[in-house]
Formats: sequence, C-alpha cells, structure tokens
Amino acid sequence: MYKWQYENKIGEISHVTCDVLVLGGGMAGAHAAVGAAEAGADVILVDKANIAGSGAAGSGVDHWEMACTNPCCRVSPGVMARALIHEQDGYSNAIAHYIECREGWDRLLDLEAAGAKIRDTNDEFVGAPFRDDETKLMFAYDYDNRYTIRVWGSGFKPALRRRALSLGAALFEYTEAVSLIMSDDGERVAGAVLMNIHTGELHAVYAGAVVLAMSRPSRIWLFDPDVPGLSEFRPLQCVGTGHAMGWRAGVEFTMMEKSVRAEYSAAGRSFPTYSAGNNHNTWYAATIVDSEGRELPYLDRDGNEIKSVDGRYRPAAGQDFFLKGGIIDEAKYEYRGPETLSFDLAEKMGYKPPFYADLSRMPEYERSVIFGMMVGEEGKTKIPVYDALTRRGFDPSRDRLRVYGTGWKSAAFSDNERQLFGAPGGVLNDWELMTNIGGLFAAGDQLYSSDCAGFAAATGHYAGRHAAKYARENERAASNESESFIRSEAERIYAPLYSDGGMDWRELNRAVSKMMQRTCGAVKSDRLLYEGLAAVDEYRRRMYPRISCRNPHELMRAHEVSDILDVCELILYSCLARRADSAPLSFERSDADPARTEAENLFIVTKRGEGGKPITRTLEHGYWGELEQEYEKHSEEAAK
Amino acid sequence: MRGENLKNKFVPKAEAVGCSVRPLRFDDRLCIGCGRCTAVCQSDVMMPSGERGKHPAVLYPGECWYCGRCVMECPTGAISLHHPIYNETDFERSV
Repeated sequence: MYKWQYENKIGEISHVTCDVLVLGGGMAGAHAAVGAAEAGADVILVDKANIAGSGAAGSGVDHWEMACTNPCCRVSPGVMARALIHEQDGYSNAIAHYIECREGWDRLLDLEAAGAKIRDTNDEFVGAPFRDDETKLMFAYDYDNRYTIRVWGSGFKPALRRRALSLGAALFEYTEAVSLIMSDDGERVAGAVLMNIHTGELHAVYAGAVVLAMSRPSRIWLFDPDVPGLSEFRPLQCVGTGHAMGWRAGVEFTMMEKSVRAEYSAAGRSFPTYSAGNNHNTWYAATIVDSEGRELPYLDRDGNEIKSVDGRYRPAAGQDFFLKGGIIDEAKYEYRGPETLSFDLAEKMGYKPPFYADLSRMPEYERSVIFGMMVGEEGKTKIPVYDALTRRGFDPSRDRLRVYGTGWKSAAFSDNERQLFGAPGGVLNDWELMTNIGGLFAAGDQLYSSDCAGFAAATGHYAGRHAAKYARENERAASNESESFIRSEAERIYAPLYSDGGMDWRELNRAVSKMMQRTCGAVKSDRLLYEGLAAVDEYRRRMYPRISCRNPHELMRAHEVSDILDVCELILYSCLARRADSAPLSFERSDADPARTEAENLFIVTKRGEGGKPITRTLEHGYWGELEQEYEKHSEEAAK
Repeated sequence: MRGENLKNKFVPKAEAVGCSVRPLRFDDRLCIGCGRCTAVCQSDVMMPSGERGKHPAVLYPGECWYCGRCVMECPTGAISLHHPIYNETDFERSV
C-alpha cells in the first residue's frame, strides 16, 4: 500500500469560463486549441494526460496522408476528396476529407514553424526517388503523385503543446471530460463538467463554444482484464467518452451501425503494431519472401508483375494515381495500387509459408526509410518496435521479420469480435464542423468516417477556428439549470468512491465485451439487439453501482465503463435503425428486409431523444454539396 | 452539497494492481527520480514514489499501452519497456 501522492480535492468544484473549450488534447484537440487561440479566443484545452504525449499520435506519426496542397502534389484536393467518397461508396465524411486534403499541408507548415521536423533537413536521403531534392520533402506510397508526406512525428505533440501554451491556451491536463452542460432549451451547449484524475477536483467550465475532440470508441467488443492496454491501436483511455457525452446530450451520430471484424489490438491477441513483418502502411512496400527465400511478386491492378522495387511506388499505365493509407483496404480498380500476390494464392502456387518481410533485398534508402525512419517515427514504434528489435539483434540489412497474418494484420479474430475501424461512425457535422447542437463542434476521430493524423490536425484547426467565430458572434448560452445539473453530476461522478459493492471496473468492462459479441456480432437481428439493450440497462442499474474505486485514477476507469455502456446503447440503437444489409457498412442482418436495401443506401442519423428513446432520420449521400464552392463559402476569408 | 460533506470522509488509497506482465523496469543506479516518465504517461500507470530521487511506483502495469513515451522522456536512460514474451516477433537471418 502506498500513500496517494496527489492533493485530495475530492468534493471541490471550481467554476471557470472561457470562449472555446476543447475536450481532448490529441492531434485533433491540440490543433483545435491552436486554431481557436490564433483566431483570438480565450481557450481551455482538456486532456486525461499530458498533451506532449497524449492521444493516438502521442508518441509519433510517420506519414501525413492526403496533403494535396503541398508543392509537389499532382492531385488536387477536390479530385482526391471525390476519390475518397467514391472509394467509400458515398459513406464518406466528404466535408472533413475535403478539409483534410485542402489544409493538411498547412498544418505541417505550422508544425514546422513550431519546431517540428517535416523535411529531410539532414540530407540523409539525398537522391532517393521518394525525395524532392528542392523542398527536401519525402513522400510515401505513390512517388509520382506525392500526396502523402513522410514526417518525423515523434516531435509533433511536444511542439503542439508548446504552441498552445505560447498562444495563451490554458491546459487542463490529467483531467477527464465527464459531461456537457446544456442550455435550458437543450439546443445549445453551455460548457462541460471535468474531473482531475489525480486530485478528484471537479471543474465546471462555461464556454461560448465547445469542441469535441475525443477518440472513437474502443473496449466495446474486445477487452482483456489482465492487460487492457496491451496492443490496443488507440490508447487505453480512449473509449469514446465524447460519443457518450454527446449521446446523452442529444448530439446526432451517423454510421454507428458500422463495425468490422477486428483487425488489430485486443490485448495481446495481435502483435504490437508494426513489429511483425508486413508490407502495408508504414511498411509499404516491403519485399515479402517465403521460407525458402523466394520473393512474392508485386502485381499491378491488372495482375502484371512489377519487376523493380521502384515500380511498387508508381501508378499503373493509364492510371492517374493510386490510393493507399489508413482507410484504404481493398481499393476499387480505379485507385488500386501495387500489391503482392495474396498469401493464399501464393501458397496454392507453391510458395512455402511462413512468409517474411525482407528489407535486406531492398535498396538501402528504402530499407532505412522503412526501418529507422517510418518504424521509429510512427506512433508506438520508436521504443516498442525499433529499439526493442534492435536490442534483440535485428539487423534489417541481414535479417527477415516474420509475417503472422495477411495485410497488416497479425492475428485472426472471429467474426463476432468487432471493432470500430476503417472509417467508422461518429458525430455528424456540417460545413463548420458543427453538430446539431449550437456551439458544439467536433474534430478528428470524434467525427464519422475519420482516418489519420492529417485528418485530425486539419479538422481540429478548422473546428477550432469556427468555434472561435461562433463564440465571438453569439451570446453565451443561458443555463439556469446548470447548478442542479452539476450537483447531480458530482453525485454520479463520485459514487464509486462510496460504493461498498467491491467490484473492479474491469469485471464489468469484460462483461460488456462478451455481451456485445453475443448480441451485436457479425449478423444482427432485432431479437439480439433488444437483448443487448436490456443488458445495457441491467448493467447500468444493477452492476455499475457495485464498482468500487480507491482513488481518482480508478474513478476515471469506472467512468470509462459507464461511457462504454452509453456507447453500446448508441451502437445498438443505430443497428436497430438500419433494416437492410449494407456491404459498405459491413452490416448484415438475419432478419433483413431485402426490399429496403436500395432505399437504405443513405446515412441513417440517430440521436437520443426525450426519455432515452432514439430519434432517427435519413440523409442522402452528397448532402455536403459542391466541395470547392461550399468550402470557399464557409472559409473565414469568405465570412469577412 | 454532498461532495463537500464527503471530502473529509474519503481518503484516496493507492495500491499496485498486479497482472501477468511487467512492462516497465527501472535501473536504480541511473534513475534520478525526476518524475518525467510519470508526467508524460498517457495511461497514468505510475505515481510518484513520495521518496526523493526514487523511481515512481507502477500502480497499474496492466494499463500500460506500450507506447514508450516514458522511455523517450527519461533523461538518464533509466527506464526500459518490455513486451510480454508472447508479443515478441520472430526474425531470422535472410536466406
């Protein structure tokens, strides 16, 4: 037993005001704070951890996708955004993706000005085909079209934290966002309730605008109570708290019925990201060999063998550009890039598994840019992969690294083990990145159909600017009920400290994941989904009150489980609302209404209404309008 | 309000929650107890030890995300990060 080393402020509530309150300090939230502060707003930025190292990109990021306005790029933002919409069969956040394509490069320039490294300034890769020797920028994937930039992102979050501080933003670190404070009519946001995870102090923050910049949900279908943090793709504390508080406040969500068979994470089931041999993402386009050292050929989209290593990074004859990256799985023919022969087919053709990634057969510049730069700068790779493998004696110029699965996967999951991955659902946004709640904005993983760090940064900064504008132009929302709301929230927040139930939060989280695998697995039905809703209700009423916590850290974990229950409810209701199968959403029902398949080829939007019952509506693909025109209309230049 | 009344009643307690792995190890000869690792950990798995110059207490090792930021922040190289053996990938000399 240790003495709790932090001040005890349990029961204390401070009241604070600001123009823009940003909830979540990852790549999106930190950029939102910077964008709002640059626009002159008085900003509070909240994160459960230290912003220098928090979020999915807290330890780094190695490539910045769809930076279409960089000086070397040959694909325009509009062409790229429309390709992404097409690639996702219309289930795309076209507004956010267009902002990503249009402004992602600007965010890199800002990061560079703040001291981060985005170019090969040490001239380590002079003459490499992926490097532009004039700008010293380095590119990944498609070397002809140059829309994705290799970056030294392990320095990005520390630089962002310094930038936010220099602009006068107040950082509320080690602080969890718990709930939104709403206006009396429920139509505008008035602030949020926060809790310090070390001292237990509560903060009631009243703000002119709020930016939700928290993660996509996790720990829903997959959870290991022994090692809950191990191998997770998103950080352990990122459970979808923004989704949960948004759901409780009546925020509209879309695509929350979409889940995919798990690809990653799940507490040690897969290997640490990027530590196993593969040829995707950070490892694109590594040479893959079989156990006897025979190379698996790379093929172009027509099945022609690509003879040179350089050819793996070039579009096919007659192809404008190819797509690779976070949300691109099996690209449509138009955008399909080079891939090795599939492992299944290779085996049938006589290649002998197991397979390996063998960088020793690649040119030195490709080898050292993959292992040393990309594996090193990508999140969770510098220490856990690059250092760990190097310490164990791995030498990429002589050794080959074992492949454990197809693509970038390194474990096989069952179909009922789901995950919100590959452009999942989230908050519905308009062209200001505002939600249906006045003054409530969203960015990054909080948005539906999100993808990578560049998306987070671009949407974050944009949402921050627009939140600042909203706060400037609107009177703060009246919330006469807020005092009683904060009192009841304080009771709810502290309850597990006083519970004598003795249950560990992990037991309930594990129960939730088993329940969701059973009731909301690969094949949905009304009967199972209602069973899931009944279980959520039961867990909330009877099980959650049995959780006991010894300190504010454990209280945070208990709140996360409570939020996970809210997220489950959101997912279950979203699944109930879709009546027909949908391949783009990986959505299947045993009791589907096939007559509705075509008619339901649209967004279904869900929010929580009075008494907890869901309210749904539909929205056509293309609701975003003409991208360039709408962007210009909503950009601040146009507003002036 | 209720919270205020309860303040004096509740004293936070800290106890290490054991699990099957030990992700973080400290070299006592190198650690200066600066606390940077604890401050930067986004899973909040550590707490200051309360003793000057001593490495922090790892209260929640199972909650480690294995990002390695603590190792990156350590000014003396006193921390090392260890994957469980079942998460170590294999490599061999190229044929």
